[in-house]
Amino acid sequence: MSSLSTSWAVNMSALKRTDQLKDVKRIHIQGLSSARRLMTECDISTLASFFVLYEATNQELSEFEVLDRMHAVLTAMRAALREGLEHPNRTPSDMIDGGAFLMNTFIEGGGSLLCTPFSLVVRNALAAAENNACMGRIVAAPTAGASGVLPGAYLTIADQHAVPDERVIQGLFVAGGIGECIAIQASLSGSRHGCQAEIGSASSMTAAALTSLFSDDQNAIESAAAFALKNVLGLVCDPVAGLVEIPCVKRNVMASVNAVASAEMALAGIKSVIPFDEVVQAMDRIGCDMPNSLKETSLGGLAATPTAVRIAARFENRRT
Amino acid sequence: MSIFDVMGPIMIGPSSSHTAGAAKIGYLAHRVYGKPISRVQIALYNSFAETGWGHGTNKAILGGILGLRVDDPRIKRSFEIAAQAGIDVTFEQKIDPEKHPNYASVTFRDADGSHPFVVEGISVGGGAAKIVRINGAGVDFSGKHNLLFVTYRDTPGMMALLGDGLGARSINVAYAQISRNKNTGEAMAIMKLDQPCPDELVRYFRSQPGITDVVAINKLGSEYERTEED
Repeated sequence: MSSLSTSWAVNMSALKRTDQLKDVKRIHIQGLSSARRLMTECDISTLASFFVLYEATNQELSEFEVLDRMHAVLTAMRAALREGLEHPNRTPSDMIDGGAFLMNTFIEGGGSLLCTPFSLVVRNALAAAENNACMGRIVAAPTAGASGVLPGAYLTIADQHAVPDERVIQGLFVAGGIGECIAIQASLSGSRHGCQAEIGSASSMTAAALTSLFSDDQNAIESAAAFALKNVLGLVCDPVAGLVEIPCVKRNVMASVNAVASAEMALAGIKSVIPFDEVVQAMDRIGCDMPNSLKETSLGGLAATPTAVRIAARFENRRT
Repeated sequence: MSIFDVMGPIMIGPSSSHTAGAAKIGYLAHRVYGKPISRVQIALYNSFAETGWGHGTNKAILGGILGLRVDDPRIKRSFEIAAQAGIDVTFEQKIDPEKHPNYASVTFRDADGSHPFVVEGISVGGGAAKIVRINGAGVDFSGKHNLLFVTYRDTPGMMALLGDGLGARSINVAYAQISRNKNTGEAMAIMKLDQPCPDELVRYFRSQPGITDVVAINKLGSEYERTEED
């Protein structure tokens, strides 16, 4: 067991909870509101604590094991970001060609339009997403195609604020819990519900995790998750030539920036009028209404543009 | 669903279905084959065939066949690794609308091309995969249970022999399926077991007259799904 677990032991033993939850075999939730109802009933103060308990109970693991596993996720996520920054990333299709590296040169040249940390979010989201496109080792959170969002926004900002690992890991449970609530009520799959389910979910998870780093107000966390998902409702999955490259990589950047903006709005005290679960249910219905041509089939949207069709034709003979 | 299905898997990119799922098919296929590899022929179907080159599906499935886990960076170099090991690898791409969109067929052979052993699998999304056919017989194996796979000459008493061997060791059969090829007179039994089949029992079955092959596959445990150690 890592040293991390030892330091967590103190926090976890302080976790207040009634015997009601202690002895249950399985914790069922229907969404975020039912999770929050359970939290109130059992006097659990944070989403992070709740989802640690949820995972430990449902997977029959100790809380330490669950925390250690998330520590491994954090380590892998950081490594994926590092790998994406090491050298220009180029895919066999040449459609991804060193974007993060160009961003880095731009930042070093003082080109940032707002401030360097903002540009770092952009650069890091690119780096992590490009690393995925180039067969790097990544954490699919929630999917491989959206694996640049948490490293891009969440890890970058946590680093900027020197947030201790324990707190960063707690935030990853918030992210995972929000993703779980989306999976329960809708889907995390682009082929089922379009890009809104992948990039939208990643952005929502990241916004909630970011908010949790700076506030213990669970309403603010919920609002941040709702804002981020609302902003990308209807986003379609239309990858050029069927590859996780165009537009996926840049949508990771959009989702990262959206997550930061959503977290800031929530931290400012702005409340989402539509509750998170209802936003997720809307996403589910939109996903069902979406035509198949816009669900990862590459038959519509950007994938059906003249340029994309030309690119796809160029790759026809590369099926080896 | 586990929180780590959302925050994971840790895998080699770029696609959970076309890369991680393909690697898992390869890994399971080799577990089913259960012998060192000399020649392997891999057929990728439909979406695997069409976009596989850009998703590294070929590298991933070969990596899995070589025993690499879905998060092993050596997947990128699987062709090199196979070449160094002297394994003869061939690939083909096929379209068959009757088959699952992400379908792969893996044929293992002895070095001289004899004894083909065909394992077919599908990638079902999120990095999950399962074997659906072994030498033509339909199965459903995703690594979540213990599997015993026996080929034998189609003669009376074979099921009793297998059942006795397992029963004597308190191994419970959860599911069994038998089939035979009338032309060759060869039959096969596929069983899901509640307990793993010990090596000693595999050797015993192999030594019995009429039995031509025995493969026991234990369910995938932490050695496949294990998280990072640092």
